[in-house]
Amino acid sequence: MNNRSFLRISSSLFKYLALAVIFLFLLFPVYWMLVTSLKTNVESYRIVPSLWPENISFDGFNTLFRDGKFLVYYKNNLIVSAIAAVIICIISILAGYALSRFHFKWNVILLATFSFSQMMPVISRLISLYSIMRRLGLTDSHLGLVLAISATQVPFSVSLMASFFDAIPRDLEEAAWVDGCGRLKTLLRIIMPLVVPGILAVGIYSFLMTWDDYLHAITLVRSPQLWTLSQGLKLTYLGEVSDWQLINSASILGAVPMIILFFFFQKYMIKGLVAGAVKG
Amino acid sequence: MHSSPAPRRSWLNFRSRKQQDRLFCFCLLLPAIILCVAFILIPIVDSVAMSFTDYKIANLTKNRPGVWNDFANYTRLWKAGKLQSAISITGTFVAWTVGLTFVVSMALALILNSEPVGARFLRSIMMIPWVIPTVIAGLLWAWIYANPYGLLQYLVNVFSKGEITDFGILNSKNTALWGVIIAGLWKQVPLMTLLLLAGMQNVPDDIMEAAKIDGAGYFTRLIHIMIPYMRSVIAVSVSMCIIENFKQYPLFATLTNGGPVGATTTLAVLSYNEAFVNNNYGSGAAVTTVWLLVMIVVVLVFNLIFRRGND
Repeated sequence: MNNRSFLRISSSLFKYLALAVIFLFLLFPVYWMLVTSLKTNVESYRIVPSLWPENISFDGFNTLFRDGKFLVYYKNNLIVSAIAAVIICIISILAGYALSRFHFKWNVILLATFSFSQMMPVISRLISLYSIMRRLGLTDSHLGLVLAISATQVPFSVSLMASFFDAIPRDLEEAAWVDGCGRLKTLLRIIMPLVVPGILAVGIYSFLMTWDDYLHAITLVRSPQLWTLSQGLKLTYLGEVSDWQLINSASILGAVPMIILFFFFQKYMIKGLVAGAVKG
Repeated sequence: MHSSPAPRRSWLNFRSRKQQDRLFCFCLLLPAIILCVAFILIPIVDSVAMSFTDYKIANLTKNRPGVWNDFANYTRLWKAGKLQSAISITGTFVAWTVGLTFVVSMALALILNSEPVGARFLRSIMMIPWVIPTVIAGLLWAWIYANPYGLLQYLVNVFSKGEITDFGILNSKNTALWGVIIAGLWKQVPLMTLLLLAGMQNVPDDIMEAAKIDGAGYFTRLIHIMIPYMRSVIAVSVSMCIIENFKQYPLFATLTNGGPVGATTTLAVLSYNEAFVNNNYGSGAAVTTVWLLVMIVVVLVFNLIFRRGND
């Protein structure tokens, strides 16, 4: 008996120890980013690093707000991600509904093509995407960038949206049909209000994913006044001599809104993310 | 078929309704199809075709199609040894990152599934690394790895009792890839833990309980009951992780840029450099074609082994 309770205590001790180690690994780097953004470079470059800034300094943030570049990148990224998220939502509501409700032969082919194209590395198409965009006159423009990054998110978003439509009973459409309600009207007026959580999940997921884009921006957009955040961070601030307070301040500003967005909508996001994988 | 007029009309009606359905369905799918065909499928096919031609910056600016060059892109890359080295570095990177991500995520998911104090809170804050944009994740680790002034070199200095004074994980050929693996692990553990946790909800409690009463130990229950029940979740989440790491580029771009001396030049880095640094688009396309093939083979083989091993 004594032996057993010793085992139980030691195994739960081990459990909490492992939990602490993994969470330290996951969260300490984020804390370190925050702390560094509040330290002066003189303090950051000490041989023995300090765990908390001696004098909290907002110099990094001040410089970023005043350098006339950071806010432009930020604004560009907001515009690009927001428009892309809206486009993705609209497309995946339409296509997701079609895939969920109608089972024609070519739907299967389409689904297979979608999941195949989801696998493709972005670089594999960037080379020729660049020449296509050039021919269309869409390089170095936000429109081209929005279209390209929307396309990458469409396959996943459509199947995610379809899984939300699957949960809505078909009787509703039958009833609407009997009442003489047209197909598009049925979708927009009757079904769509029921999948608002799905729309939120798709919208926020696409916003996060397009905010994360780096490759499309760096190949398709050349002019500095059109750069997005990731691109601007890499090309402007990560130089030969890096100002780490500045970089960490910029990182905090780039990451925190995403973290807040996630916490606000995590219920929908997690449901959506998990639904995609657990069902398959 | 001598049917009465009434059912015939309804049959006709049905047919036209079905045709209308077909048209409606097609219209709904059209925007998605156009976007995917124009910006995903055509570029992929076009880039495979491009890989067999001599396609440089002049072709792009003067809008000239590439000229067939008898696999010269492939043979040149192969003879220079670039392709082999990139394949093996990519393989090492993917294998270690996916393997470690799976082990750490499984451990974390098992612990969280046993409902420790604050499980709900931990479950939501654990997602933070996943939400942080990849380039920012790269910068964050670049600062930890920085040499001098980085946190890691200080820790190594302390733990080696002052023997190793300027450890730069990204500066040495032998350790640079590990720097990226750790950053990749950090970024991908949250999502996989989330998926595995969701899969654990499908494991029936009564069977676990019955096995426990029968005297099955923790690891026996884990291997013989839990993992078989989680088979499909594991297959999906590991496949996703494999693909994700095969595609990884932003972490390499921010942390190492393929260096030092090509030690972290994966297929992603190689194709980007060939195409957009050397402006040899045909050669870059050749790398991505090889890359696509390798990735498809790996994912297929993984799924075959996994399905067979558990059926």
